[in-house]
Amino acid sequence: MAAVPAIDYNAMRDEDFRHQVRSFFETNYPEQLRFLPRRVRMSEISGWWNTLYEKGWIAPNWPHEWGGMGLEAGKMVIFLEEMERHGIARPADQGITQVGPIIMKYGTQAQKDHYLPRTRSGEIIWCQGYSEPNAGSDLANLQTSAVIEGDVFIVNGQKIWTTLAHDSTHIYLLVRTDKEAKKQKGISFLLVDLQTSGITIRPIRNIAGHEEFCEVFFDDVRVPRDVLVGKMNEGWTVAKALLGFERLNIGSPRRPQYALMRLEMLARAKGLFADTGFLDRFIAIKLDLEDLAALYGRYVEQVKRGEPLGQDVSSLKIWAMEAWQRLTELLVEAGAEDGVIEGAHDIAGVEIDFLSPFYYARPATIYGGSSEIQRNILSKYVLELPS
Amino acid sequence: MPSEHAALLKDSVTDFVTRGTDMARVRALRGDPQEYDRAVWRQMGELGWLGIAIPETYGGMGLGLTETAIVAEGLARALVPEPFTACAVLAAGALAASENEALKGDLLPAIASGSRVAALAWQEQAGALDAAHIALRATPFEGGYRLTGTKRYVTGAAGADVYLVAARSDAGLVLACLDRGASGISVDLEPLADGRHFGTITFEDAVVPRERVAASGSAALGALSRALDHATAIASAELYGVMSRALEMSVDYMKTRVQFGRPIGSFQALQHRAVDLYIQQQLAAAVLSEGLRELDEKPAPQKRAAIASRLKARCSDAGVRIGREAIQIHGAIGFTDEYDAGLYLKRALVLAAWLGNATQHRRRYAALALQAES
Ligand SMILES: Cc1cc2nc3c(=O)[nH]c(=O)nc-3n(C[C@H](O)[C@H](O)[C@H](O)COP(=O)(O)OP(=O)(O)OC[C@H]3O[C@@H](n4cnc5c(N)ncnc54)[C@H](O)[C@@H]3O)c2cc1C
Repeated sequence: MAAVPAIDYNAMRDEDFRHQVRSFFETNYPEQLRFLPRRVRMSEISGWWNTLYEKGWIAPNWPHEWGGMGLEAGKMVIFLEEMERHGIARPADQGITQVGPIIMKYGTQAQKDHYLPRTRSGEIIWCQGYSEPNAGSDLANLQTSAVIEGDVFIVNGQKIWTTLAHDSTHIYLLVRTDKEAKKQKGISFLLVDLQTSGITIRPIRNIAGHEEFCEVFFDDVRVPRDVLVGKMNEGWTVAKALLGFERLNIGSPRRPQYALMRLEMLARAKGLFADTGFLDRFIAIKLDLEDLAALYGRYVEQVKRGEPLGQDVSSLKIWAMEAWQRLTELLVEAGAEDGVIEGAHDIAGVEIDFLSPFYYARPATIYGGSSEIQRNILSKYVLELPS
Repeated sequence: MPSEHAALLKDSVTDFVTRGTDMARVRALRGDPQEYDRAVWRQMGELGWLGIAIPETYGGMGLGLTETAIVAEGLARALVPEPFTACAVLAAGALAASENEALKGDLLPAIASGSRVAALAWQEQAGALDAAHIALRATPFEGGYRLTGTKRYVTGAAGADVYLVAARSDAGLVLACLDRGASGISVDLEPLADGRHFGTITFEDAVVPRERVAASGSAALGALSRALDHATAIASAELYGVMSRALEMSVDYMKTRVQFGRPIGSFQALQHRAVDLYIQQQLAAAVLSEGLRELDEKPAPQKRAAIASRLKARCSDAGVRIGREAIQIHGAIGFTDEYDAGLYLKRALVLAAWLGNATQHRRRYAALALQAES
């Protein structure tokens, strides 16, 4: 089944593996796409996708059986760390990180055979169709419906905030298949080809001026019944199966690297470290991020030991995202008047874009479970406070 | 009677922003190098606002900062892009405090009516709060001065007809007037977060005839410092307008957006967040009315600078914080360009950085307080 000869990366020493990954990234990743303070578009990154695909590295988390690298947690963390160290942009990779593993776990053999190889090759690019206008934090309130008629589902409704839908070929959807059942109960998980007639995609511009997310409308969209993953009305369980690892990834301490590097360079160029007031604020944030790395490391150890992540991992997301935001705020402030000028410009010989990192960090406390929702989770399930 | 003026002004600003401008106009002018609409500007002139701080003898209203702040706050609430503070307070203020009566008689009435737009080009380095760093050369010759050097971060530069330039000669500071089209001047525009621009103005042997020198030496320094402090206070009032509207939008949204079967405003986490923002806005309101009143009593320069810094520090921090949190409270929709919350955040960012941010002003406040003690 394996498309590439299986190399046992897990048998390598960590340092050797890290070295190999690092030098591959350094040699092959396009320089102009390093540390992008925005989502990369498929037209820019498809060459890199192919490079990884040909190397057999496009799906580090997938087993050999499906053409992945088969990395266990420890090696997986090294791989991700090296990606972020080098400032490698995340393409529309939800097929690799989310749908692929979901299909492996819940899909039929036919679904696996059809979708997995195409997802790896980039022939199929996935976007996530969960949120709706009235189902954001309260995702279980989703109303997009799928009704069975003969051998098809008829889908009607609207998804919103769908990241990179306009770069995708397919969407994985949560839809309501039982209107009578309570909230989470009547939801199913479908895989839909975006070319199907009745689907309209409208990009939405964000405050940074980029069209990165979209609205996706479904108007009597007829899809075959075999696009259902898992059982009818059990889509909630299917979708939630992965949240643990995703939450760990979202707390990666390296994401703020671009902003931190720029702030440090700016501070040196402008002599800001001689100013104890600035130094104090800079070091506070730098330590916030270093301590985040320590917290992250604890969770990594837990994953390596094969223990499931608990609800407490929400702390990681809150701290990672909020520290990132504080950092970008200090960057804008340290720029003074220059900090509010759009685009990259030269400050004392350093090329800096102040506003893009600031904009990019804004929604980090909104998507993937808002900071408020994460705090609710911690207070309820970890501190066990009465509701 | 200031309170009578205040009530009238409030009404006319409210009337203007409901009828004379709207968000579609604000959005259409984003990135437009002119930044404003001449017709709207003239209307603002007819209403007397452009001459609000200009003495009556020069065709203005001769009102104080308390009244000026009412106009600035009202315009900022509606995100009006026209450079009211930059022209009517900063440039007109510096000119009005200058010593060249003939020049004032020529220019101030035109500024007040809206027929000529002035911008003050004083700053050369990011983060500078006063004239100390000014290095642009004014070299004297028979008939006046030649200017050489570069000014940065000039607000209202794009649409200005005339620049008031702060330059340095061997004899001290010089405030000189140059027409936009004069030879030896070139203007580059840098796009700002809020769709407006900072101008970078380069002077190369630009000639200023003697009769176009507004003030020199200590008179120039005095006029510039006063105008900077006043504009800093009025920019704080603008921030107050921006934060007030952003907070209102957020609280309204909390009342209408339903998740988990109830308005999100019923969640205590968000309630407390909104209350904290409200406290910031109330602090800003309180410090503004106290500070503006004190400024209208014409305190000595050191005291004046300290008050201006206190206002700018509070209003910048509160404005940016409320702008940021407005997005958080709105969720994903707050992150879209179509929704107005982001426009408020961006205007707050720009106003907070313009004329010195909160940290810089707290520093200046501390330095002035220590000086006053010793
Ligand atoms: C950049 C970006 C990319 C995204 N990409 C995708 C995607 O690809 N696919 C997809 O399906 N979705 C995506 N989303 C949507 C995202 O999942 C939602 O924005 C998120 O679930 C929040 O929902 P909402 O925006 O409707 O905000 P709301 O849920 O309306 O929340 C508004 C505010 O209320 C607060 N709030 C809500 N409930 C509570 C509560 N119980 N207690 C306290 N506070 C509460 C929130 O924290 C927030 O501050 C994306 C969002 C963004 C910003």
